Amino acid sequence: MNPLREAQLVETRRHFFGRAAGGIGTAALASLLNPSLFGATAPSTEELGEQDLARYKKFAPKAKRVIYLFMSGAPSQLDMWDYKPQLEPWFDKDLPDSVRNGQRITTMTSGQKRFPIAPSTFKFNRHGKNGTWVSELLPHTAKIVDDIALLKSVNTEAINHDPAITYIQTGSQLPGRPSAGAWVSYGLGSMNANLPAFVVLHSTVNGGFGGQALYARLWGAGFLSTRHQGVSLRSTGDPVLYLSNPDGMSETMRRRMLDELAKLNHERYQDVGDPEIQARIAQYEMAYRMQTSVPELTDISGEPDSVLDSYGPDVKTPGTFAANCLLARRLAERGVRFTQVFIRQWDQHGNLPNDIRRQCGIIDQPCAALVNDLKQRGMLDDTLVIWGGEFGRTVYCQGKLTRDTYGRDHHPRCYTKWMAGGGIKPGISYGETDDFSYNVTKDPLHIHDLNATILHCLGVDHERLTYRHQGRDFRLTDVHGHVVDKILA
Amino acid sequence: MLRARALSPLILLATSSFTLTAKAEPVDFSKEILPLLSDNCFGCHGPDASNRKAGLQLDQRDGAIAKLKSDNHAIVPGDSGASSILARLESTDPDEQMPPPESGKTVTPEEIARIKQWIDEGAEWGGHWAFEAPQKPNVPETPKTWNQTNPIDAFIQQSLQSAQLAPEQEADKETLIRRVTLDLTGLPPTVEEVDAFLADDSEHAYEHVVDRLLRSKKYGEHMARHWLDAARYADTHGLHLDNERTIWPYRDWVIEAFNKNQPFDEFTVEQLAGDLLPKPSLKQRVATGFNRCNVTTSEGGSIDDEYYVRYAVDRVETTSTVWMGLTAGCAACHDHKFDPLSQKEFYQLFSYFFSLTEKAMDGNIHLPPPSMKVPTAAQAAEKLDLEQKLKATSDQVTSIYKAIDYQDARADETLGELATEDTLWFDNDLPKGAKRDGNEGKDSWKSVEHAGRKAFVRTASESLSQHFFTGAKEPLEISQGDKLYAYAYLDPNNRPKTIQLQFNDGSWEHRAYWGADRGHGSGRNNASNLKMGRLPKTGEWIRLEVAADAIGLKPGAKLNGLAFTQFGGTVFWDKAGIVTVAPLPDDQLGSFALWQQYRAQTKVPTLPKDIQKILDTKQADRKDEQTEKLTEYYLKHVNPKTKLAFADALKREETLKKNLETLDKAIPATLVMEERKEPRQAHILERGEYTLKRDKVESRVPEWIAPPLEGSPNNRLGLAQWLVAPNHPLTARVTVNRYWQQLFGTGLVKTAGDFGVQGEHPSHPELLDWLALEFIESGWDVKSFVKMLAMSSTYRQSSRVTPKKLEIDPENRLLARGPRFRLDAEIIRDQALAVSGLLVEKTGGSSVKPYQPAGLWKPVAFGGSNTQTFVQDKGDKLYRRSMYTFWKRTSPPPSMTTFDAPDRETCQVSRARTNTPLQALVLMNDVQFIEAARKFAERVMKEGGKSTDERLAFAYRSVLARKPSDNERATLLALLQEHLTDFKAKPEEAKKFLAAGESPRDEQLDVNELAAWSMIAHLVLNLSETVTKG
Repeated sequence: MNPLREAQLVETRRHFFGRAAGGIGTAALASLLNPSLFGATAPSTEELGEQDLARYKKFAPKAKRVIYLFMSGAPSQLDMWDYKPQLEPWFDKDLPDSVRNGQRITTMTSGQKRFPIAPSTFKFNRHGKNGTWVSELLPHTAKIVDDIALLKSVNTEAINHDPAITYIQTGSQLPGRPSAGAWVSYGLGSMNANLPAFVVLHSTVNGGFGGQALYARLWGAGFLSTRHQGVSLRSTGDPVLYLSNPDGMSETMRRRMLDELAKLNHERYQDVGDPEIQARIAQYEMAYRMQTSVPELTDISGEPDSVLDSYGPDVKTPGTFAANCLLARRLAERGVRFTQVFIRQWDQHGNLPNDIRRQCGIIDQPCAALVNDLKQRGMLDDTLVIWGGEFGRTVYCQGKLTRDTYGRDHHPRCYTKWMAGGGIKPGISYGETDDFSYNVTKDPLHIHDLNATILHCLGVDHERLTYRHQGRDFRLTDVHGHVVDKILA
Repeated sequence: MLRARALSPLILLATSSFTLTAKAEPVDFSKEILPLLSDNCFGCHGPDASNRKAGLQLDQRDGAIAKLKSDNHAIVPGDSGASSILARLESTDPDEQMPPPESGKTVTPEEIARIKQWIDEGAEWGGHWAFEAPQKPNVPETPKTWNQTNPIDAFIQQSLQSAQLAPEQEADKETLIRRVTLDLTGLPPTVEEVDAFLADDSEHAYEHVVDRLLRSKKYGEHMARHWLDAARYADTHGLHLDNERTIWPYRDWVIEAFNKNQPFDEFTVEQLAGDLLPKPSLKQRVATGFNRCNVTTSEGGSIDDEYYVRYAVDRVETTSTVWMGLTAGCAACHDHKFDPLSQKEFYQLFSYFFSLTEKAMDGNIHLPPPSMKVPTAAQAAEKLDLEQKLKATSDQVTSIYKAIDYQDARADETLGELATEDTLWFDNDLPKGAKRDGNEGKDSWKSVEHAGRKAFVRTASESLSQHFFTGAKEPLEISQGDKLYAYAYLDPNNRPKTIQLQFNDGSWEHRAYWGADRGHGSGRNNASNLKMGRLPKTGEWIRLEVAADAIGLKPGAKLNGLAFTQFGGTVFWDKAGIVTVAPLPDDQLGSFALWQQYRAQTKVPTLPKDIQKILDTKQADRKDEQTEKLTEYYLKHVNPKTKLAFADALKREETLKKNLETLDKAIPATLVMEERKEPRQAHILERGEYTLKRDKVESRVPEWIAPPLEGSPNNRLGLAQWLVAPNHPLTARVTVNRYWQQLFGTGLVKTAGDFGVQGEHPSHPELLDWLALEFIESGWDVKSFVKMLAMSSTYRQSSRVTPKKLEIDPENRLLARGPRFRLDAEIIRDQALAVSGLLVEKTGGSSVKPYQPAGLWKPVAFGGSNTQTFVQDKGDKLYRRSMYTFWKRTSPPPSMTTFDAPDRETCQVSRARTNTPLQALVLMNDVQFIEAARKFAERVMKEGGKSTDERLAFAYRSVLARKPSDNERATLLALLQEHLTDFKAKPEEAKKFLAAGESPRDEQLDVNELAAWSMIAHLVLNLSETVTKG
C-alpha cells in the first residue's frame, strides 16, 4: 500500500476512535472506511485512487484557504477602481468605433442608436504608498490598498450573467462542471472534519434578496462526488439544512437513539461484512458533532466590540454582508478551505450612481475589516481573499445620460477584481486598460488565469488537478489558464 | 496487490484484474494496448490532426509504423528494438521521455513490457471493441457447481473460476423479495407480500413475484425515474430566470412506455423523431419531449445565434451519451482526441438538431413553442361529446333560421336624427365589480350631504389628490358621438387650482382638465391631458362634459374606471355617466334596414368583427354571402320577434362553447419537437464558437460506427432508425449496460456514459455482447430483459461479504456475491412514505411541492422569476412518489441532492453513491422523515399486534422484510421503555414531537406511547440496512 495512504488511514482511525460513541469504540475499522466525510484531510480513495498527491500538489502552498467575496451582477470598474480622468471632455460624445472595434455587445444596447460616453460621476483620490487611485465610494477599502493586488485587466468572453458567472465559477459557460470551491475540496479536503470544506454564504441587501439569479451549479460539484458541493450556511432557519433535532426530541434522546442505532448497525456489519455500514456509523457521529460545532460557529456573542465595530453596524444582523464577512473569518479560523460570500444587485443598467452608492455602502467597510481582521490574527498570510464579479460594465451609457445619472451595460473585455493575502503580492496594481476602460492594453488576465493563480496559491497545479469524466481529464481551467507570476508574492 | 489494483484508476482496471491475464498470454490490442495509447499518447498523437505533434499518429497502424521526420519508426512490427516508441517510453531524460513529464502522465514498467511484447508479436492492430459489431459468443460450459438459472450465470461463473472465487448461496427469501421489489418498483414489499412469498413453496414462487412486480404500475414509475436522469427532465427552464416549464406529460409518457413494455427501438424512435413518423399520434409527438428537456434561457441581452448552437450541441451530446455511450461533445471544438469522431462528423450530427421551429429565447413562459395539447382519455372523450352536442345545437339553430320567412316591411324608411339621453354610470354606488382607491387608499372616499346632493368630498393641500375606481365588471361602452359627464361643486372658500376627470379603458391616458395645468399628464395638451378651459364657477353644482372622442376614446372603447382629481382646494364630486344615443325602439329594431342605419350612426354595442366589417361595406358592394350572413345575424340576435325563436338554442350553444373553452384550458400541454420548413444551414464551428462558421455541413451519421440505413430519410427519423438498426454496435450494448447497472450497482462497463477508447473495458465482454444480442433478438423487450437479470442466480446470491472477497474484489465487479448498495434518494423517501402509509399512489400529473426547508429559493432567484417563492403544497400532494417532486434546476430539492440525485441540468447516466453526514441529518431531522416515523408508529401500534414483540416484528418486517434478531429486539425494547419514561415525564414534549408534518395524529392512541413508538420507528428508518439494498 502506498505509504501516504497508509498514514492517512491511521490518522482517520485515530480520529474516529478518539471520538466514537460508547459501544462501538473498539470496532475494527475496515480499511476501506474513509471518514473524510466532507473530503477531510485528503481526497477520497474512490476518486483519486492511488494517484500520487504530489502529481498536482506541485508548489509549496502559500494559502491554506480562500475567502471569495463575490459581487454578483458585475460592479462597475469605471466608478470604483479604473480611474479615467481623461474621459471628462468625452461626456455624451460617442464611443469611437476604433475603440469598440466591432466587438459584440448585448442585445440590450446593440439596438441603441448611440453609445454616448458616461464619465464616472465619482471623485477619485490617491491612497497608500503607491498612490493608488480609488473612488470616493470606497473610503474603507482605500485604506487597505497596500494590502491588496488590484487586477485591472481581468477579462472574459461571456456577455450575459448566467453564462458569465457559470464560467468564472466553473470554467465553462454551460452547466455541468464542478465549481472552484468543489475542485478545492476535492483536491485538498477540509482541515476540519466537523465542517464542510466548502461553505457558501448569501447576503441580503436592505433586508431582502433580489438581483441577478444565482444557481446551485455555482457551488455545485458537477461530476465530482456530491460531498464536494458547497454547503450553504443560512442566516434563517437551520444554519445548515436539517441541523436541528425535531421539536420534542431532547438532546439526550438524540444521543441515546444514535448510540442504539450505532449498536444495531454494528451488529449488522458483523453479520454481513459491508464496510459501508461502518462508514455510515461514522457519518452519524459526524452529523451529531455538527449539531454542536455549527451553532458554536455562528454564535458571535464572544467577539469583542472592537472587532464587531470594525465590520460596521450591520454585523449584528444575520445574513448581511457584514455578518457574512465576519462568519467567513470564523470559518477560515476553523479550517474551512473555501468560503464564498455572495452579494447581489450590482447589475446597474440604469440609475447606476445611486445604486452603486448603496452597494458600496454595504460592502466597503466589511471588506476592509475582513482583511484587517485576518491580518491582525496573522491569518492573512495563509488566507487568500478575492473580491469581484463576473464581468465589468461599459463606458458608454445605457438609457438616458445626464451629469447625475446613467446606466452601464455588461462589459466582458476588461474589469477589476482584487486579491489579497496568501501568496499574493500586496500593494500592486496589475494590468492596464485603454482610455475608455474598454480594452486591455497591458497584461491581460483572463478568468482562467485568475483561477489558475488561485489554485497555485493553494499549492495546486491547475493543469494537474484533474478528474476523469467520460473519458476526459477535466480541470477547473478547462484547457486554458496561466499562473500570473507577476502578482505572486 | 490485487486489491491495490482494483482501487486504482480505471485504466488499470481495464487492463488487469478481471480476466487476470497471465503475462505469457498474447497481448490483446483492443483491451490492453489501445487504452494505454489513448490515455497517454492520443492527446498529441491521436485522431485530432490539428494538434498532432512530430507528425506521429498513433491511433492508426499506418501512422504508427510510418517513417518519421527523424527517420525513425515509432513502431516496427516484430522488432521492438527498432521501435523508437520504446526508447522514448523508457527514457528518463526529460527532453526525450514520453509521455513528457509536464503531462503528469506515466506508463508503468509492466505496461511498457506489454507494449514491447505486443510489438514483438507483430503489432497487430484492431479496432476499439465497442465500435465493432458484437458477435454472439457461445455460452460457456461450466461444471454445475452452482445452481445456474440462465446463461448469465455461466458467464459469471467462468470469470469467477479464473479468479478462484466461488459464488454465494441464494439469499434468504426475505432478503430476496426486498431486493427485487426495491429494484423493480423502487418501493419495499408489504408485510402481506412477504408473507405470501414465504408461504409459497412452489418452484416458481420467486418468478411469480418477479412477474407480479413487472405488472405493477410502480415498475414504470421506477424505470422512468432512471431514464429521466438521462433525459435531463425537470420542471424549470434552468438558465437565468429559471421559470417554470410544462413538460410533465412527457414524463408520464415515459412511465406509460415502460409499463406497456414498449420495445426499446420504438421507444427510441418516438422520443428522437416521433414528430417525423408518418401521421404521428398524439403520444408519439409527446415522446419528442426528450429533446426539449434541455436547459434554455431568456436572459436579456442574449444573442439568439449563440443559443441555437448551444441547444443543438446539448441535444447531440445527450443523444450520443444515452444511445451510444459516446462523448461526442469533445468534437464540438476539435476532432475527438481519443475516438475517431471528427469535428465535421459532430456538426453533421448537430445538423439533425439544428432546424427546429423553437425560438432561441424561451420567453420565460410555461410553453415555449413548439408545444401541443395533451388531453387525457377522459378529456378527449368529454371534448368529443361537447363538440358533438355543439354541432347538434348549431344544426338546430340553422334549421330554425331556415324556417323563418322574414320580410322587412319598412325597408324603404329612413331613420331621422337619433335622440340622445344620459346614462348614469356612477352615483353613490360604484359600478359592479369596481374597487375604490385613492391617494390615501380606499378609505379616502368621504361621503357627505352637500347642497342638496349626496356626494363625495375631497380636500387637498397644495398637491394633486384624487379618488378613483377601477375594475368595473360591466364596462361602459363608448358609442359614436358620446359625451362623458360628471358633476362637481367647487368650494368658493377653498378653490382648487385644477379639477380633472380621468377615464380608464385599460390605460389612464384619457384626461380632461379645467383650470391650471396641474393635473396628471401636465405639460401636454392632447387626449391624455385635454385642456377644457377655465375653472368652472364655484359655489354651485356644475356639470362637466367632455366628448369621448376628444380624449381618445373611440367607439367601442370600454371604460372600467374613473378618477376624480384635483390640485388643492375642496371639491364635492357627484354622479357621472355618459350622454349617448338612445336605443332603437323595438318597432324600428324589427326592420333590418332601420337597424343598419342605426348601426351606421352608433357602432355600439360592439359586434363580432366579421359582422361589423359587413356593416361597414356599402350595401351595393356586399357579396351575396355577406348579406346572407348579416341577415342571419340580425334575425338571431337583433330582431325582437325572431330572436325569441333562437333564444333557447343559442343559450345552449353558448354554454357548450364555454364548457369547451373551460375544458380546453384544463387540458395540459407539453413541449415537443417540430422541424422548420426551411432547414437552417449548419456549419463546422471553429472551437465551437457560433461566430466562427467554417465549411457548410449537411446531416449525416458517422459511417464508421454503422453505415446509413438504406431507405431511411436523412433526418432525425433516419438518425433514430440508424441507432436501433441491428448492426449498430453501440446502442444495445449501452442500453443493456444501463439496466445491468441499475440492478447490480455498476455496469459491466463501469463508465456507462463512455464506451469510447477512454472508457473502461467491460468486466465481462462476452457476457455484454451476449446480453446485447439477446436484447435485440427479443425485439428490444425491456421487461423480458430485466426479468432475465432478476431471475439469474447471480442476482439472487446473498450479498454477505467475506474479508477475502472484499480484499479481492471490493467493488463486487466479479459478482461473487449479490449486489448491495445504498438506495437512491427517491427510494429512501418513497420507502418511508410507503411504510408509514402516507404514500399517495397516483400515477402522473403535474409536479408537486412537498416539504422543503423555508428560504431556499429566495436567496438565489431572480427578482422577477415565477419560481422565486416556494409555496409548499398541501394534503395528498405532500405524499406523492419523489419522482413527481417539482424540480427547480437552480435550486433542486435538498433532500434529494444530498443523496446524490443529479441536478438535471445535463444528461446523466449514472449516479454517485456517497455516504455523508448531511445524509444523516436529512434522515435524522427532515420533517418528512419525522412525520413518516409517527405515521409508521401508528401503523405499528394499530396493525402490528398487541404485544411489543409482535409490534417490533411488524416494524422490522415492514421496512426490512425480516424479523428482528433477539439482540435487536432486546435493544429496541429497552430503548422503547426508556423513551416511554422520558415522554411520560414530559408529555408536552411528546405532543410537540408528534406535531411534525401536516397529517393529523391518531387521537385514539396514547400520546406518550405513540411518541415512544415514533422514536423506535424513527430509529428503524435510520438503520443502515433501511437505506441499503442488500
